[in-house]
Amino acid sequence: MAAEPILAAAHVSLRFGGVRALTDVSFHVNPGEVFSIIGPNGAGKTSMVNCISGRYRPTEGRVLFDGRDITHFRPSRRAGLGIGRTFQNLALFGHMTVLDNIMVGRHHLLRHGFATGMLYWLGGAQREELAHRREVEEIIDFLEIQHVRKAVAGTLPYGLRKRVELARAIALKPKLILLDEPMAGMNLEEKEDMARYILDLNEEWGMTVLMIEHDMGVVMDISHRVMVLDFGRKIAEGTPEHVMADEHVRRAYLGEADEAVAEDAAEAAAP
Amino acid sequence: MTDDTLPKLLARNARAHGAEVALREKAFGIWRSITWTEYEARTRAMALGLLALGLGAGDVVGLIGDNRPDWVMGEIAAHAIGARSLGVYRDALDDEVAYLLEFAGASAVIAEDEEQVDKLLNVSDRLPKLRHIVYSYPRGMRKHEDARLLPVSELVRAGDAAHAADPSAWAQLVAGTRGEDVAVLCTTSGTTARPKLAMLTGGALVRHCKSYLRADPKSPQDEYVSVLPLPWIMEQIYVLGWGLIARMKVNFVEEPETMMADLREIGPSFVLFAPRVWESLAADVRARVMDASPLKRRLFDLGMKLGLAALDRGGRSALADQILFRALRDRLGFSRLRSAATGGAALGPDTFRFFMAMGVPLRQLYGQTELLGAYTVHKEGDVDFDTVGVPFDAGIEIRIDAPDQNGVGEIVTRHPNMFSGYLGALENPDLRDGWLHTGDAGYFDKAGHLVVIDRIKDIATTSAGDRFSPQFIENKLKFSPYVAEAVVLGDGRPHLAAILCIRFPIVAKWAERRRIAFTTYSDLAAKQPVLDLLRAEVEAVNATLPAAQRIRDMVLLYKELDADDEELTRTRKVRRGVINTKYGGIIAAIYRGDRAIPVDTTIAFQDGTTQRIRTMLRVISMRDGTAPALAQAAE
Repeated sequence: MAAEPILAAAHVSLRFGGVRALTDVSFHVNPGEVFSIIGPNGAGKTSMVNCISGRYRPTEGRVLFDGRDITHFRPSRRAGLGIGRTFQNLALFGHMTVLDNIMVGRHHLLRHGFATGMLYWLGGAQREELAHRREVEEIIDFLEIQHVRKAVAGTLPYGLRKRVELARAIALKPKLILLDEPMAGMNLEEKEDMARYILDLNEEWGMTVLMIEHDMGVVMDISHRVMVLDFGRKIAEGTPEHVMADEHVRRAYLGEADEAVAEDAAEAAAP
Repeated sequence: MTDDTLPKLLARNARAHGAEVALREKAFGIWRSITWTEYEARTRAMALGLLALGLGAGDVVGLIGDNRPDWVMGEIAAHAIGARSLGVYRDALDDEVAYLLEFAGASAVIAEDEEQVDKLLNVSDRLPKLRHIVYSYPRGMRKHEDARLLPVSELVRAGDAAHAADPSAWAQLVAGTRGEDVAVLCTTSGTTARPKLAMLTGGALVRHCKSYLRADPKSPQDEYVSVLPLPWIMEQIYVLGWGLIARMKVNFVEEPETMMADLREIGPSFVLFAPRVWESLAADVRARVMDASPLKRRLFDLGMKLGLAALDRGGRSALADQILFRALRDRLGFSRLRSAATGGAALGPDTFRFFMAMGVPLRQLYGQTELLGAYTVHKEGDVDFDTVGVPFDAGIEIRIDAPDQNGVGEIVTRHPNMFSGYLGALENPDLRDGWLHTGDAGYFDKAGHLVVIDRIKDIATTSAGDRFSPQFIENKLKFSPYVAEAVVLGDGRPHLAAILCIRFPIVAKWAERRRIAFTTYSDLAAKQPVLDLLRAEVEAVNATLPAAQRIRDMVLLYKELDADDEELTRTRKVRRGVINTKYGGIIAAIYRGDRAIPVDTTIAFQDGTTQRIRTMLRVISMRDGTAPALAQAAE
């Protein structure tokens, strides 16, 4: 084991009444990794991310971040520790500008509040805002959204809104960023752009990425390690090549017909 | 000797006006000023850095990327060490980049970012002479390990160190530049073949710019926004020539996508746009008005009517200015324009009138790369949009060769500041006894203005013997907001026909409002209501043309014409030869009188994917009013 994992889930289970969304899932993410969770619809991928970000509390098991047990922390506290996320269905402030949306991402880093902010020039709130604006501009430059900087977020096309949401998550300056289907609903060109942003984010900004994604091509191209969920259980984990070769994975996720696998198995068993 | 090279001019400005603003660049959402002192310091560092890399007199330094201060400084730095600069269009494909750099024998390239560096590395096996690739923007470069790569920051650091070691080196370099040396290699537009490289000396560039400035004076109070491609001769004239001679402030936009917003923030006092941009601005205004409330639409119509009527009387309408034009100029970023120009190709008279009525002091330019760009312009207060004006000054001589009975012949020009020949070409058939044969047909009108009709080889004659200019009719067609490109056919044929490309965003909006469902460009262009719409547009143009020059048949093409498919030049002129070959089957079918043409083809997209298109192109004929009904029956 090279480094201490940045994130670890230990025997996490999640139940909604009688429905078992997650059953005894354990995994870890190493610092500097691009780690992907894949699985068919309803496999529990988003539930897993929600357990990490704090929207759900696991029924059993623990979540550790930087060696610290965060299982009972509220989402805002987890954000403060350095976990950022984007949502599968966009969650932008539609009536606000792109700039303001991204500025919201820096909210937890602001020292000035409502009261001290009223002394804008005296109390240093202006200086603080300028410094944050500079950071935000660097993110805008990074994601190439200069041309919509002042546009109202709700009026933008889908692919751009996805990028703005990513920008807001980055503005948090998280150590770990959770991306819930960053490429859903995008065309090929937008997907390629997004893949490049994620790689640059990981390699140039040093952010650890935990990603849920349906597009197998992208997942296999840019992930260091992949975990596969099926019906709330972990069925495989490892490098993309390793996971692709796994028979359970092919059966569960890659749509290979059960009969075909059964036949293969029968053939293999035959002398 | 006066300052006859760009490095000398830069040094002069830094000496006399060091603290004044020379350039501005928008970065991280803020306009940052660059003074003449800073301009010179970075140029000096780049020059000394290039020198330290072993470059010098006779070398060629390529430049590729968006318009940025680093490009301009890199170019002047190249001149300072006696090297020649070669600008390459930023959207040029791998093969074009390789051809130009190989042909010129470039030993270093200053590239903007990863996108350009990728191109260079892709073709580097064709470029054995290329020793250094300097890049400005390090993003995404971590994956490349190539000994030729060098970040510009390191080039500048090496240059600064060299300056610290020998503070007089720069002054010696600058003093050593000579106006009679070739400084700029400029690609010619190449409507026909591979671009040629015109060799321009520093002295010719500076003197010709001064000649131009006499016709259109500029001062340090003038603001210019650099959005034309820098490899193009006119942007060289404005950004480098005028910027250094008249100290006109040059502003660089943040990204090509933010151009219109940035333009509005600066409020330039001078702009040059290609006719295509003026046309698309006019089309955009019209499209937005279609979306506006009925009151606004009526105000627009009234304002246009008053404005155009006043223009015909030679004045401007104060009322129209109040209700429409002031707001329109502000929207477009034209509030502070003192002069505006169009050039590169002919601009439709209707577009011209539209902007003149608005109060944009638009003037037509005419010129060739070989003649250092424009050399005729409308004098202030003497604008006639059918002409390209008069020569800048008496040093420019224009004559009409082999005129016919109407005085129309080939335009032939010479002036003291012409190019010094094409790189690598000893023979130069267009240059005879010091006169450049332009290949353009034109004549002088009664007022002494030069009128350019078209390329001589593009003047077409129908089989009935009627002469016409396809481009003239195309420009009329393109004034419609729905038409993006038009190609008029008819040379050696019994009548005229047109291949049109719809302007997708606007036609798509139009279709949406009428609840016409469509999927792709090809699908939309085949919809009956769209065909009817375009037919009406063509008929409106036909009404303004003599009977023999009217379009009889038309088809809507299933894709847009694209420079990447070699159907247009990089400056977006139609390449007729390519069109005639590529769409030969369609053209033949039109003239056979077919009503429908089956198409089965593959188109390649920019990302490398291809798509097979199978569709039925319907030929719309203007001959009979029943054509739409017939076409419907055929469905």
